[in-house]
Amino acid sequence: MPVTNQALPGGYQLLNYRIDRQISRGGFSIVYRAYDETGTPVAIKEYLPASLVLRTEGDIVNASSAENLTSFRYGMKCFFEEGRALAKINHPNVVRVLNFFRANETVYMVMRYERGRTLQQHIQMRQDQMSERFVRQVFMHLLNGLREVHTHKILHLDIKPANIYLHSDGSPVLLDFGAARQTLTTNRPKLAPMYTPGFAAPEQYRDHDRLGPWTDVYGTGASMFACLAAFAPQAADARVQEDHLVSAKKIWSGQYSDNLLEVIDWCLRLDPLERPQSVFALQRAIRDIPPPKRKLTFFGNLKRVLFSEIGA
Amino acid sequence: MRFTIFQESLKGGREVNQDRIAYTYSRETLLLVIADGMGGHVGGEIAAQIAVRLFVERFHQEAKPMLRNPLRFMQDTMLRAHAALGAYANQFSMLETPRTTCVAVVVQAGQAYWAHVGDSRFYLLRQGKLIGATKDHSKVQYLVDQGVISSEEAAVHPDRNKIYSCLGGLVEPVVDLSRRTPLKNGDILVLCTDGLWSVYPRSELSTMLTSTPILTVGPRIMREAESRGGPDGDNVSAIVVRWGPETLTDEVSTTTDALKPGEFETEIEDTVTLAERTGTSRDLTEDEIERAIAEIQSTIQKYRK
Repeated sequence: MPVTNQALPGGYQLLNYRIDRQISRGGFSIVYRAYDETGTPVAIKEYLPASLVLRTEGDIVNASSAENLTSFRYGMKCFFEEGRALAKINHPNVVRVLNFFRANETVYMVMRYERGRTLQQHIQMRQDQMSERFVRQVFMHLLNGLREVHTHKILHLDIKPANIYLHSDGSPVLLDFGAARQTLTTNRPKLAPMYTPGFAAPEQYRDHDRLGPWTDVYGTGASMFACLAAFAPQAADARVQEDHLVSAKKIWSGQYSDNLLEVIDWCLRLDPLERPQSVFALQRAIRDIPPPKRKLTFFGNLKRVLFSEIGA
Repeated sequence: MRFTIFQESLKGGREVNQDRIAYTYSRETLLLVIADGMGGHVGGEIAAQIAVRLFVERFHQEAKPMLRNPLRFMQDTMLRAHAALGAYANQFSMLETPRTTCVAVVVQAGQAYWAHVGDSRFYLLRQGKLIGATKDHSKVQYLVDQGVISSEEAAVHPDRNKIYSCLGGLVEPVVDLSRRTPLKNGDILVLCTDGLWSVYPRSELSTMLTSTPILTVGPRIMREAESRGGPDGDNVSAIVVRWGPETLTDEVSTTTDALKPGEFETEIEDTVTLAERTGTSRDLTEDEIERAIAEIQSTIQKYRK
């Protein structure tokens, strides 16, 4: 008995798009790389909740039992919500939706294909420590995108390095709004709201009434923490029981500016009210103190002089 | 003013009546309004209710006892209703903004004015002939206008219920405004939802309303429309006014002469079924899926640079 949904095969023609391969598989969907009729690559997200096994062969999604159909259609509502939310946003730091259609008894969202890698991959591949300049640059841009998202009265609710894409020039794109508004789910255990331990705020585990911009602020702070630590902070539900999280200020004092470390700690406060209450407030806090000039060691300085001399 | 008025709204084969109808008048001015809330969800009913109520409330504020500019009044009210629906959806974090069609008619100083959004209709009949009507904001009406299909084909077209303008939609509604049209005694004004016009050819409606007192024939038309709609039939709603003194019967027509300045007579038909509903966790219907996709696509187009 198969236990997972079958992905569409490479070469499959989906309307005017040709599927190339599966890129990723999430709780609610499979994402493919595909090409449109002009040969432009696109990312196509297929709504297919993993908790409901609906396609074991072929291409048609079959929500067979009535119970499944209810959950399936309910989740589809959330998928529409994601589409609706993203369709309105045209911002360089937020993934762009190009098309939305129905086929194979399910729905598809076509997005711009982003080249590069995720911040998660970037963190895992790095040997040395990430520079403050890089962290600031990524997150200032990302926050511009997130602010645009909040302006449209949408919460992302799943901000984490794996959902942040980096172009080769380092500019970030916020991906995957699959969790957006899923908090409206009640009495639907099969399609429970999803969150990522370590990056989800404590209110995402229980106090759904308390979700707000500060919830995404927590995810942003946790992502910044992960950039420095190369691992996620302690999960918020465990922190509520017994908080073992050591403050960024304590861990990296001297290696990064106090301003950056204080901002990270501020974002990671357990009480939603104690965090920056908006993206704007967070941006202001980061901007307040400009990053300190790098203290150059003798050899570093020498290297710089040499390189500038030889024009490298 | 002197007129005879009939209004009724029936559930048809549906569980819920998402149509709302109302009329109200001051000594000098008459307002008629119908809204047909959309979709199989709870929002449709709310949307229609909000639109109709807003019309009536604004009329009471502005018609003292006449409206300064009836067309502007209707245009403004439509746009305000549209904004109110958006605000309502925000306030209650609804997944979809409640949406509705709306058609309104104002009569004052012997002149009729009308405005509409969507596919609820207004007909103005004089001696059995159509002298004024709204044009549906629907896909099929567009196809008819373009000469792609005939009006006979439109009547049975599978997309005949799809409209491109409504209150509460993602895009600003298209509000069509009539010209000022002088009324004559005996003129018949009909406002109705698609539950009526889709099962009653206009000619048949016109013949019945012209030859028989409207208070007699009105209820008969409504029952007949409901039965033609069948077990899955749409909600059926209509307001019919015969302008001037009633000549076909001994029945006394309505006169507004007794109303003092600042006084209004109002009749809102609102069989609220909201209490019967349980939450909004219902399944999506096929219709809702199609509409959600169409909406997202139009949003993508709109925000494309």
